Amino acid sequence: MKNEKRHMGLKAANRLSNTAIYILLIVISVVWLLPFVFILLQSFRVESTWQVGYVIPQQWGFDNYIRLWNSDFKRWYLNTLIIALFSAVLVTVIQLCMSYTLSRFRFKMRGPLMRFMLILGMFPGMLTMIILYRVLADLGLTQANAVPGLILVGVASSGMGYYVSKGFFDTISKSLDEAARVDGATRLQVLYKIILPLAKPIVIYTILTAFMGPWGDFVFARYVAMGTSAGYNVAVGMYSWLTNDQINSWYTTFCAGGVMVALPVTILFLCLQKYYVEGVTGGAVKG
Amino acid sequence: MKRYSDMEFLRLSKWQKFLYKLVSFLVGIPLGIGRFFKKIDIAVKNGVLRVVSELKDVGVTFVHGDWKTKVSYVVMGFGNIARGQVLRGLLFLLFEAVFIFYMVTTGGYWLSKLGTLGTQGPESVYDPIYDTNTTVYHDNSFKILLYGVLTIFFIVAFVYTWWVNVRQNKLAEQIIKSGKKLKSGKDDLKSLVDDQFHKTLLALPMVGILVFTVLPIVFMVLVAFTNYDGSHNGYSNALFTWVGLKNFSTLFSWSSAGSTQSMSATFGEILVWTLMWAFFATFTNYFLGMGVAMAINKKGIRLKKMWRTILVMTVAIPQFISLLYVSKMFAADGLINQMLLGLGWIKQALPFWTDPTWARVTVIIINIWIGIPYLMLITTGILMNIPADLYESAKIDGANAWQQFHKITLPYMLFITGPYLLTSFTGNMNNFNVIYLLTGGGPTNAAASGAAGTVGHTDLLITWLFKITTGSDSQYYLAAVVGIMVFVVVAIISLVVYNVLPSIKNEEDYQ
Amino acid sequence: MASVKLTGVKKIYDNKVVAVHDFDLDIHDKEFVVFVGPSGCGKSTTLRMIAGLEDISEGTIEIDGEVVNDLQPKDRGIAMVFQNYALYPHMSVYDNIAFSLRLSKVPEDVVYDKVTKAAEILGITEYLMRKPRALSGGQRQRVAIGRAMVRDSKVFLMDEPLSNLDAKLRNQMRAEIILLREKLDTTFIYVTHDQTEAMTLGDRIVIMKDGYIMQVGTPTEVFEMPKNLFVAGFIGAPQMNFINTKLLCEGGKYYVTPFGVKLPVEGEKAEMLAAKNVQTKDIVLGVRPEHIRLAEAGEPAIKTKLLVNEMMGSEIHLHVSTEDDTRLIVRVPTVDLSKEERNAMTAGHELAVTFEGKVMHFFDPESSENLLV
Repeated sequence: MKNEKRHMGLKAANRLSNTAIYILLIVISVVWLLPFVFILLQSFRVESTWQVGYVIPQQWGFDNYIRLWNSDFKRWYLNTLIIALFSAVLVTVIQLCMSYTLSRFRFKMRGPLMRFMLILGMFPGMLTMIILYRVLADLGLTQANAVPGLILVGVASSGMGYYVSKGFFDTISKSLDEAARVDGATRLQVLYKIILPLAKPIVIYTILTAFMGPWGDFVFARYVAMGTSAGYNVAVGMYSWLTNDQINSWYTTFCAGGVMVALPVTILFLCLQKYYVEGVTGGAVKG
Repeated sequence: MKRYSDMEFLRLSKWQKFLYKLVSFLVGIPLGIGRFFKKIDIAVKNGVLRVVSELKDVGVTFVHGDWKTKVSYVVMGFGNIARGQVLRGLLFLLFEAVFIFYMVTTGGYWLSKLGTLGTQGPESVYDPIYDTNTTVYHDNSFKILLYGVLTIFFIVAFVYTWWVNVRQNKLAEQIIKSGKKLKSGKDDLKSLVDDQFHKTLLALPMVGILVFTVLPIVFMVLVAFTNYDGSHNGYSNALFTWVGLKNFSTLFSWSSAGSTQSMSATFGEILVWTLMWAFFATFTNYFLGMGVAMAINKKGIRLKKMWRTILVMTVAIPQFISLLYVSKMFAADGLINQMLLGLGWIKQALPFWTDPTWARVTVIIINIWIGIPYLMLITTGILMNIPADLYESAKIDGANAWQQFHKITLPYMLFITGPYLLTSFTGNMNNFNVIYLLTGGGPTNAAASGAAGTVGHTDLLITWLFKITTGSDSQYYLAAVVGIMVFVVVAIISLVVYNVLPSIKNEEDYQ
Repeated sequence: MASVKLTGVKKIYDNKVVAVHDFDLDIHDKEFVVFVGPSGCGKSTTLRMIAGLEDISEGTIEIDGEVVNDLQPKDRGIAMVFQNYALYPHMSVYDNIAFSLRLSKVPEDVVYDKVTKAAEILGITEYLMRKPRALSGGQRQRVAIGRAMVRDSKVFLMDEPLSNLDAKLRNQMRAEIILLREKLDTTFIYVTHDQTEAMTLGDRIVIMKDGYIMQVGTPTEVFEMPKNLFVAGFIGAPQMNFINTKLLCEGGKYYVTPFGVKLPVEGEKAEMLAAKNVQTKDIVLGVRPEHIRLAEAGEPAIKTKLLVNEMMGSEIHLHVSTEDDTRLIVRVPTVDLSKEERNAMTAGHELAVTFEGKVMHFFDPESSENLLV
């Protein structure tokens, strides 16, 4: 009898704590999603273009979207898309080369190289902005031509971000490489016949993050474009809508732009979520 | 400090144990740093010895080498070609030709000017034909410094290649003596996808890092020792030149001018806030993220996947959108204040972005909103990897939920995520986007703002650096000094943590 | 089908740790050699140097008369079975086995013949289309062996291939490896930490410790004439008993005096001692548990007390302690004892034990070398 009582008590306590957790999770979900719901709702607001004290539009319409696509946003969107596509390919190649090598090969300079890059990473990247700008300017890759310049700089230094994928490669047993080499494979064959098929999650993760990065790239992009709208990406362009003298006429358009940027990226992300989660949990912490 | 043996330690009370550990940790910091410098010292000494022995070796090789080797000392690659390794030889030769060509045509010029960064600035010259003054440009300090550094890189690369060339001759002689065959060009090409595959793979990334990271950093470190700024841009208005350590003494000067406080006080204030921010941003996210992950992971909670997806989805939305939007939401005329005013709950707009303390707390809270989903993901993976039998045995030993958390979950998590916490901390120190997009550094700190531009209460070192660079004076030299200070702070923190964390010490342990 | 010759092979890691010291060994064509030793003794490192997976710091390795130091693993004509099988998880069993053949551009129909033949020999034909993760440990092991089999290699390397299997499966696979060897008829180098595997499989056994070779010999040699205390303790289970005592040389006859009991050295062992002209000295006396027996009444015997009685089925292991608290293990065939005798053997029971003079081993206490080798 006594046992049964305790058993029931355990169950009840469990139910109570689970209810508390459900409430917590619901609150969290609401808090996390609300701002995005707000953006979405306000992007359909027609009656005014500035910030107001309510969320649900009084007059619904696509005015903001029409205005959006008639503005420079078109150009910014295209710029960002081009940068994102190029870096998705090039950054992935470079980072995988780097991380695979550092995970698999034990060459003499490996340790010093990794230490060197660790130290390099301690310098704030912004420090190099000034000179990179001047160099790009000399090459004619600033202002209206900012796009190739941003791709170049973004791709060139991406080798430093090898940590996550190296962490993943480290989890693939080295005896697979060894078995394949005994079986007659060259190192190149080991890479594309054995490792790459097994590293699919991290390859997709790298492509995904490399693609998503440029959508939020702000400070360097702004510096390189230097006030020339044709060279803006979405982040720089939309930032210019929220300055104190612009916000009252562009606020709702900003919301529409936010939806247009977030929507494709989020959909892509949700489709590939599995790989992203695997990449983060498999590689990020191990570094 | 008295060192306890293991047996003595076990007899200490809980507080004594804690105190003992704390003191050993604090004592360990200077010791660790001492060890570090000793290591550097040893490394330098070894390096010098190595160079000396290599130099000797180069001499010995020359004396004992055959004529092919001797010619190679001047004509790189000659020995390779003469011994049938045509491909290698031609590459050496080509490199030497390019190097000589570069040094003669331009490299020498940049190098010779590097000491002064140019002597002749732009001048206004009367043009009699058009009857106007035109400006004639001469030296370009920026280019001199940049290409000067590049030339030095190139010379180092050349010396190294030359040394490799000499060594190859030596090895080739040995191999031929032992009766074996040298590798042919075909073998060399083959090995690029096999035993030398790492070189192939690393070539492209390393060139990128060298040109777009290393070179700029070296350049900017050097700028800290010049007077490069908006009014000395090195070309169109005035040249800049070496000023020694003057900029460092400017940053650390105690003298204040008028209503503006001293530079060192400003730097100190920003540094303290930067560290505070990094600490709160890292650990609030870490613990709350872990909490959410554990809540979702709890047995009996349904729809786990849905909860996770809701949070993860917010990772996908580019930060600038969410940050800018939320920033405006909390503005004086933003959604929240307007709503609260409309409801009559407050009479005045809440000073989210105008009061220093409010602003600091708000950025930390919004950062939690930004960071938790990512931390939730990371910790979920690790939490699920904690062996279940640890919990089972703890339950049998009579541990309650809280004890299970702080005796099992937490130590395990801290061990695994130690390195991540470190990078996260230094990453937050340099978290430009969150601060700049939320507050732009504001509200303005009047006492600290001065010649170097406006400084705000939420400015981090990194946003300050940005403001100095883009401010009206563009004091690049000061930005460079601040950048170096950021490096120093990050390096010290990393060094200390590295000497403490067990999980970083041995990379292989981890694999 | 080839000989393997290691001359002065050394492995020094970057951190200056020496994993293998001056390893010299001549492995004949078609020989089955087993490297055995506790973990960290350098046995796997040596095997991996032969395979080309580990650089050779010093010395040379020849396969079939050719120095292979600078050859890539694929060019050494070897096949290897890994401890964790190292099956390619994304390929089917068929593709796993066919992998090496396809790399060397063997025509598909030949690949088919070879793979199916190997699968038949190993009894895994029905799993050919499965992925490795759908297989049991024993099946994976067979696939790993199959993958090595089809390579027609000169040398077959196996790195602890059975250590991930449970005891029953291990015995079964051990027998199959012996059969496999007969079928393949090639040179085998096999690494294990299990002395039973070493004894049952090897033509010759190389016993290693801390990077040094302790002894090389046939199973019989290392069992009957262990070169030093380490080998004596490592080979044979339960472990050989070691007793610190004195060897007496009295008028051409030899005696040992374990625990004050004077026992004569007899037979071949006595002759060998005499031939080496060994004088009276301190020694470590080694006696295998199966060579200790219960003394009959009146015999000179060592008095002991029983600590633990382990009934193994066909034999009984008696853990006893002498008057000065030295532990000994005695192995008695179960049939030698009556039921009453067995029932009497509880902890604290007094037992008198003794052993014959022809089964003793004599080791120098300082050098730990066998006095007779």
